[in-house]
Amino acid sequence: MTVLGFEITGYQLAFVVLAGVTLGSAAMVVLMPNILRAALFLGLTLLGIAGLYVLMNAPFLAAVQVMIYVGAVTTMIILAIFLSHRFMQVGFTQAIYNPVFAFGAAALMFLFLFITVANSVWVKDITAAGPAQTDVGTHAVAYALLQPYVFPFELASVVLLVALVGAVTIAKEDRPDEP
Amino acid sequence: MSHSTYGIPITWFLTVGALLFCIGLFGLMVRRNAIGMLLSIELLLNAANINFLAFGSYLKLPTITGQVFAIFVITLAAAEAAIGLAILINIYRLELHIDADKITAMKL
Repeated sequence: MTVLGFEITGYQLAFVVLAGVTLGSAAMVVLMPNILRAALFLGLTLLGIAGLYVLMNAPFLAAVQVMIYVGAVTTMIILAIFLSHRFMQVGFTQAIYNPVFAFGAAALMFLFLFITVANSVWVKDITAAGPAQTDVGTHAVAYALLQPYVFPFELASVVLLVALVGAVTIAKEDRPDEP
Repeated sequence: MSHSTYGIPITWFLTVGALLFCIGLFGLMVRRNAIGMLLSIELLLNAANINFLAFGSYLKLPTITGQVFAIFVITLAAAEAAIGLAILINIYRLELHIDADKITAMKL
């Protein structure tokens, strides 16, 4: 199809839309003076990234992203904001510090990364469009997690358990009069 | 160009990842609110995930390793967010603010 005189495929159009949503809301995350709105924009950013995962042939990762990041992490951050309601006031702690210096450093970093990406030689002979030849779907993820990567997989579950118990212990209110 | 992602060059995904990383870096430098800094850290981790998945699916024979790496990154990010928010809630309870420049509880 043709958009604004450019010949692009539907996938490219989807990529441009998703990347625009992702980057636009990411910019709002760092610039919003109200921290609650920044957290909500983080949810939108993560949804856009889930869409990008779909474009990269990783539907399982997209579902995981929506469930864990959009569903759990964003909710947890919003709950933490509610638990300490004074963060929500637009005030001193929400201010933007040293924007010029920070923008310069970030732009320099991007320039470095972009020059590296643009000047690298990528494999040119994988041009045929179509679905992936090898299985990279949910079945392959399950096989990979339970066969070659089973030890890190089990280790990750132990890490999660330790982290959750630790989080409860840290956040628990200390009441000295309790038995 | 790639067979796995329908006419989208890998450089597009890498550029989006780099832009997202730099936005997160900017947020990390300009925020003093500790929760705002945590939001920026989530952006950085997701930028890394985009790169993992891009390289995983653009190999000549696409492998699953990129996705497995991304799953572990997501797992550790969830643990990190839980611990970080618990620490912040505790600091808020003690000091009634979460200004990263003023938290001095563990300074010598």
